[in-house]
Amino acid sequence: MLGEQKLKQIADKVLCLSKADQTEVLLSVSGNALTRFANNEIHQNMAWKNLGISIRVVTDKKIGVASTNSFEESALQCVIAKATTLAKLQKPDPSFVSLPLPCTIPEVKNDIHHATEDEMAEGARTIIEKAKKEKLKAFGAYANDVSELAVANSLGVWAYHAGSSCNLSTIVMGENSSGFASDVARSPDAVDAKKVAETAVSKTLESTNPQDIEPGEYEVILEPQAVSEMMAFFQWYGPNARIYHEGASPLSDKMNTQVFGKNITLIDDPFHSDVFPMPFDFEGHPKAKITFVKNGVLKNIAYDSYYAMKFHKKNTGHALPAPNTMGPIPLHLYIAPGNKAREEMIQNVKRGLLVTRLWYVRVLNPKVLNVTGMTRDGTFLIENGKIVRPVKNLRFNQSIPEALNNIAGIENKLTPLASFEGEMISLAPTLHIKKWEFSSRTLF
Amino acid sequence: MIKQAENILSKIPSADYADVRIVDQTSEDIATKDGVVEALASSSSIGYNVRILKDGVFGFAASNDMSEHGIDETIKKAIAIVKASAADKTTNVELDQCDPIIDSYKTPRKEDPFSVPMEEKIHILLEADKEQKVSNKVAVTQSSYQANRERKYFVSSIGSKIDQEIIWTGAGIEATAVDGPDLQNRSYPNSFRGQNQTRGFELVRELELAKHAPEIAQQAVDLLTADTCPTGEFDIILDSNQLALQIHESCGHAVELDRVLGYEASYAGTSFLTPDKLFNFQYGSNIVNLTADATIPGGLGTFGYDDEGVPAQRTYLVKNGMFQDYITSRDTVTKLHEINNQYNPPSGGRSNGTVRASSWSRLPMIRMTNINLEPGGEKGTGKAWTLDELIADTEYGIFMSTNRSWSIDDKRYNFQFGTEIAWEIKDGKLGRMLKNPTYQGITPQFWHSCDAICGRPEWTVWGTPNCGKGQPSQVMYTGHGASPARFRKVKVGVVKW
Repeated sequence: MLGEQKLKQIADKVLCLSKADQTEVLLSVSGNALTRFANNEIHQNMAWKNLGISIRVVTDKKIGVASTNSFEESALQCVIAKATTLAKLQKPDPSFVSLPLPCTIPEVKNDIHHATEDEMAEGARTIIEKAKKEKLKAFGAYANDVSELAVANSLGVWAYHAGSSCNLSTIVMGENSSGFASDVARSPDAVDAKKVAETAVSKTLESTNPQDIEPGEYEVILEPQAVSEMMAFFQWYGPNARIYHEGASPLSDKMNTQVFGKNITLIDDPFHSDVFPMPFDFEGHPKAKITFVKNGVLKNIAYDSYYAMKFHKKNTGHALPAPNTMGPIPLHLYIAPGNKAREEMIQNVKRGLLVTRLWYVRVLNPKVLNVTGMTRDGTFLIENGKIVRPVKNLRFNQSIPEALNNIAGIENKLTPLASFEGEMISLAPTLHIKKWEFSSRTLF
Repeated sequence: MIKQAENILSKIPSADYADVRIVDQTSEDIATKDGVVEALASSSSIGYNVRILKDGVFGFAASNDMSEHGIDETIKKAIAIVKASAADKTTNVELDQCDPIIDSYKTPRKEDPFSVPMEEKIHILLEADKEQKVSNKVAVTQSSYQANRERKYFVSSIGSKIDQEIIWTGAGIEATAVDGPDLQNRSYPNSFRGQNQTRGFELVRELELAKHAPEIAQQAVDLLTADTCPTGEFDIILDSNQLALQIHESCGHAVELDRVLGYEASYAGTSFLTPDKLFNFQYGSNIVNLTADATIPGGLGTFGYDDEGVPAQRTYLVKNGMFQDYITSRDTVTKLHEINNQYNPPSGGRSNGTVRASSWSRLPMIRMTNINLEPGGEKGTGKAWTLDELIADTEYGIFMSTNRSWSIDDKRYNFQFGTEIAWEIKDGKLGRMLKNPTYQGITPQFWHSCDAICGRPEWTVWGTPNCGKGQPSQVMYTGHGASPARFRKVKVGVVKW
C-alpha cells in the first residue's frame, strides 16, 4: 500500500499537468490473494497486486477518459495527453454541468488486514477436515482483498480511504446433495471457518437424496444468500437515476407512491458496522445513509453528479467510475430487518420451499423486473411449519416488485454476505414470501 | 519483452516446471446514448505473472512492478504459495507432454482499429444512433464500439518462447421502445455489444450500422403492439445469433474439463458430462456435430497458441451426436487419463490448447475457444438447408432471433432463454411478429430434437465477449459458429407476462 500522502502527491502532480477546464483523478492500489480448494485439497492459490490511475478531463463540456496501471511520471504524462486528446475529439454533452465541488467526507477509520497464505490455507483446511469426517467433499475459496482508493479533482475534491475484506465460502458435496455457507469480515481473525464448515456440512447431509417436486406457485423462505442474489438486480435496475428517467425502471414515475408492501423498507448504508465501508463515491462525493423505500413508499433514488445536475436533484453519492454507462447504483442497499426469528418464519409456512441460494439469475424485462434463475445447494419442502424433506432444484420466473409486495415475514437480523464478485459485503435478512413462481425442474 | 520474460524466468529457483507471461493490454471503448457520446475511453494495463510447479502443486503470483525488487518479491510470493498449498495436498499436479515452441502470431487484419481516426469512429456511431429515432416511442438509442489489443510474451522452462498480438474489434446498436409498462429492445447485429471478432476495423465497416438502424428501431416499436409469444410445445427455428449462445451455455461450458473435475464447483458449478459418458453418451441427434476450433479466421476465440504454449487446434466435442471430448489443459488432461484409461481421442489425448487468462493478473484456465455447431451439408450433418427452405418445411413453429436473457443450472441441464423478437411460422410461411419469446429445456433432450441445420452460406462465427468464469472472475472472449437450426417440440412461452 502507498498511503494517503503519496497518493495525494500523485494526484496533485496530475492536476498540475492537466490543462483542461476540469480534471478528475481516480487512484487505486490493490493487493489480493485467493486460495481455492476442490475435492478436499487446495488446487489454485494465487496473489496479485496492481495499481490504477484513471483521468477524466473536461473541456467545453467535452469529456475524455484514459487509464493505465503505472504511476511513473512518463505514464502520467501519457495518460493525461490521451484523455485530453479524446476530449478534444468528443462532441459536447449539453447535459454536463460540472464535476462535483468539494464537500466534507465523513470520517471512516482506514482498516487494513492482510491474510497470509498460511492463514488462508488454514481456513480451507478447517472446512476440508470437517467434510472428510463426514465422507463429503469440500470446494470453496478464501479471498483477501486489500485496497486503497483516492479521488481528486481540479475543483478541490480530495478523498482517500483504505480497507480490506476477507471472504471464505464453500460448497460441500455428497453423492447427490450439496450445501453452501460463507462468512465475510474485515480481518482474517474475524472469519469463522469452523462455523462455515459446520453449516455447509449439515446442509449437505440434510439435503441427501432430494426428491422430485412439481413446479408451480409456492410460499418460499428465502435465506439471506438467496435474498442478496435477488436484490442485486433490484440495485442495478431499480433506484437508478439513469434508468428511472428513461422510463425503463419499474420505479419510474412512482416517487412518493406505494411501490411495495408496507413492511418493506430499503436502506443504503455505506457505514453499517457489518459492511465494507465506503465514505465517498467514485467522484469523491460523500456518501450518506439514505432510505430509498420507507414502509413500501418510494422516497429516493440514486444520483451521481451528472444525473443530479441534469435533473436538478441532490447528488446522493452513488457515482461509479467514469465513463459510466450503467448509471448511479446504490452499492450498500439492504432490506431493513423485521421482527421474526427464522424458525418462527418456517413455522408460519403451510406448504412451501426453503431456498438456500439462487443461481444464474437474469433479468427478462427490466421494466417489470421479472427474473429467471435456479435454486441451488439446499432446497427443502416445508409442510405445516416443518422442514420435511430435501427436493431437487427448480427454475423460477418471478417479478421482484411482485415478491416485495407479498412479504409475509422478515427476519429480525441481517446476515453479512459477499457480493457476486466478492469485493463488497452486502446484508440481507431471511424473507418469507407468500407467492413464488417455479416453472420447471431439473434432474438433481 | 521476450528477453524480459526470460530474465524473470531465469530468477526462479529450481522447480519442476515454470512459466512467465508478460501481457500488455490496450482497449478503446466508445458508447453513445440518445445522440451524445456517453463514454469515450482508452485504457492500458501491463504486468506479468510467474507460475511455478514444485512438489506437485502450482504457485501463482502476479504484479505490475517490473523492477528487479518487484520481480524478486513476486517470485518469493509464488514460492510461499507453493509451500502453503503443498502442506495438505493429496494428489500431485502432473503436466502432459508439450513440445517447446519458438514462434510469433498476429491476428490477421486489414485495418488496425487503433489507427482509424477517433473522429471517424465517433461519426459512425453517432450516425447509427441518430438513424434509430424513427418514432417518439423509441425511448433510448444506443451504439457502441470496442477494440482490444493484447500483446502476450510467454516463456517456459521447457524452452518455449512465444509472442502473440491478438486484436479484436466489435460494434453494435440497440434501440429501446417504451410504452407504459411495456419495454422492448432490438439490437443489431446482435445483443450485448453487437458482433465481435478477431479482426480489424473492416468488421465495423462491413456491419453498416446506420443502414440497419431504422429497421431495427422500427421493430422495437412494432414489438410494443405485437402479440405475446404463445405458450405450448412447438417446433422452433433459432437464428444463428441465438443458437450461438445456446451452444455456449449448454455445450461450451459443459465440456470444460476443469469444471467436470470439480475445480469450478465452488463458483460456476460442475457438468453433467462426467468422464464415464465419454464415447458412449448420445448428446444429441446424429446430425449434431460440435467442435472446438481456435483456428477459424476471425473467430473471437482464435489465436496462435494458448497460455500454456500449446498450439491452437480443432477438436470434435460431439460427433454425429456422440460425446467425444472435452476442452482441456496440460494438468487436467493427465487427471482424465487417470480416471478414464480408455481416453484416446483423435488429438492423441494431450491438451487440446484451450487455456487462457483474461489478463496478466489472472491464472490461466480452460476457456472456450470457438465452440461451433457444424453447418448442414458437411460430413454427417444432414442436408445444407437454407433458412427459407427450413421455414417452408415447418408447418407450425416459432422463429426466434437475438438473445435477450439466458440462464442455466449449475450442471448445465435445465436452461431457459429469451429472445428479443420472434415470428410465427404457419403453413411454411413467416407470419405475425411475436414479443417476449422464451423457451426452456433440458440440454440432451433439446439437442436430440435438432432435425435440420442450415448450410455454410448462413453460418456465422458470433463473438461472445462477456463469458465469466473463475475466482477471481475472469471475463473472456469466445466465439461460436452457428447457422439457423430447427428443434422439434420445445417448451415455448414459459413466462407469464
